[in-house]
Amino acid sequence: MNTIIEDFKNNVKDYPEKPVLIFGDEIISYKRLDELINSLSISLSNLKKGSIISIFLENSVDYVVSYLGILNAGMIAHLIPTNLSDEKIIQQLNNANPDLIISSNSLIDKIKNIRYDCKKVITSELICNESVMNDYELAENDISYLIYTSGTTGEPKGVPITHANVNFTTRNIINELDYNSSDINILPLPLSHSFGLGCLHASLSVGSTLVLLKNAGNTMNILESIKKNNATTLAVVPLTLNKILKEHENIYSDYIGNLRLIMTNSTSIPVDTVKNYRTVLKNGKIATYYGLTEASRSTFMIFDQLGREESVGKPPHGIEIRIKSESSNELESGEILIKGKNVINHYWKNEQEDKIIDGWIHTGDIGHKDADGYLYLDGRLDGLINIAGEKVMAEEIEKVVRVLTGVEDIVVVGMKNEMFGQIIKAFVKKSINNEITKSEILSYCIKNLESFKVPREIEFIKDFPRNEFGKIQRFRLE
Amino acid sequence: MSSNTNTEIKEIFFQIFPDSNESNFDWKKKQNEYENWDSFVQLNLITMLEEKFDISISDDDSINIQSAEDALNFVMSNK
Repeated sequence: MNTIIEDFKNNVKDYPEKPVLIFGDEIISYKRLDELINSLSISLSNLKKGSIISIFLENSVDYVVSYLGILNAGMIAHLIPTNLSDEKIIQQLNNANPDLIISSNSLIDKIKNIRYDCKKVITSELICNESVMNDYELAENDISYLIYTSGTTGEPKGVPITHANVNFTTRNIINELDYNSSDINILPLPLSHSFGLGCLHASLSVGSTLVLLKNAGNTMNILESIKKNNATTLAVVPLTLNKILKEHENIYSDYIGNLRLIMTNSTSIPVDTVKNYRTVLKNGKIATYYGLTEASRSTFMIFDQLGREESVGKPPHGIEIRIKSESSNELESGEILIKGKNVINHYWKNEQEDKIIDGWIHTGDIGHKDADGYLYLDGRLDGLINIAGEKVMAEEIEKVVRVLTGVEDIVVVGMKNEMFGQIIKAFVKKSINNEITKSEILSYCIKNLESFKVPREIEFIKDFPRNEFGKIQRFRLE
Repeated sequence: MSSNTNTEIKEIFFQIFPDSNESNFDWKKKQNEYENWDSFVQLNLITMLEEKFDISISDDDSINIQSAEDALNFVMSNK
């Protein structure tokens, strides 16, 4: 088994002067990236193998250097999204217990104000001129990186990804989507998420060039990056595909027509969006996948034929998917179970052990298969809401808003939305004799929640639908 | 009304972009010049404008709101 670092180092030998990474005006060759990574690894050599180092950075060259430098030093990279609230960051840090946090000039003040006691530095402080480093032997089950996802109660749970997980998933991405050394890949996705990180791994493994963008906020910038770099692939969430269609309806085909691949992920994609892009791509394909952070890229779907635009595809070789339902008929909806080398062995600190039984992860997603084995997603078992790929537990939002004076109780549900897949709607019961307004609730949410957790709609309600035991029936509000 | 609307829109921007304040606020500053104005923040902004001014903003109109000035113009012509 090759680790991602070994794959990368092989490509340093094969393509030393080739650009591995382009970010704005910075063009970094394989050889130069290797030097930077080694330098960063050396400066970490006072820490022991397996130490946890948190990365709190936006997409940048420093992100890639820090991430690979940590792995190269035999340590675990804990990836913190920069859009998290201070409370969520503290929860993650207390749970992950890192020895060091790497950040940037623009973010270091935020992280320094967080109540967690460890050394906090910016990437450039870790670039040194020494040349001797410890030589770590990495084992398959050593942890490569740690990402947190929403637990069923809204408390974050750690997902430790081993080098074997990364290797298996990267091979699947490459094989299923034909990534190769001549690819030039546009990536506006955050590297703190599994989707973006998987694209980085694939690009490094095959010896191609990654054009990393800060984010997907400016869709014209994405289109111009494709043209400027003669890109061959683009990876974006469905929301961005929809935005490009709406914002640049008359010109987008001029920019993306020559791509060989557009890769998106498993939030709902409007059928018309798939059809539009398929028409515009001259020789290219549009594809999606289904997976969790805990079971990355469990299926792949290439939309190369009519009639299955709503499917997320089939599992690649080595991954099994079962539908657990009362009837045992996989054509009927039930919970999706996944088994394979892409599935984590356990959660961080063995939390939520009951989610993985005999190697099968119980996803909480509901789905069904068609007669040819293609998987379709039908919803969730619990209150998890998926807003353009950002997953939020309803309880997490409810807990924050419930303490607001004037709110007696709140129930949050996901509503279907063409642009975002789902959006959040909050049903609020006001306290007696209190005239709190929707604007006041929204202002409170904007101040206390991450932007993707703020409700799009608020409806005041006299009482919630309840069953005979008085329990709120969330599904009747959906 | 215009002056009140101006103030209310500014207050919405101060809430959504905590780094902005009276001294650095610029009506013409564009979406891509803000550090964190992504699709989710855009959604928050549209939701706040709708609630505050009791208006409805379609997806197509939402795309055209790319500065505080755009928000003001939209509100003034739809209120």
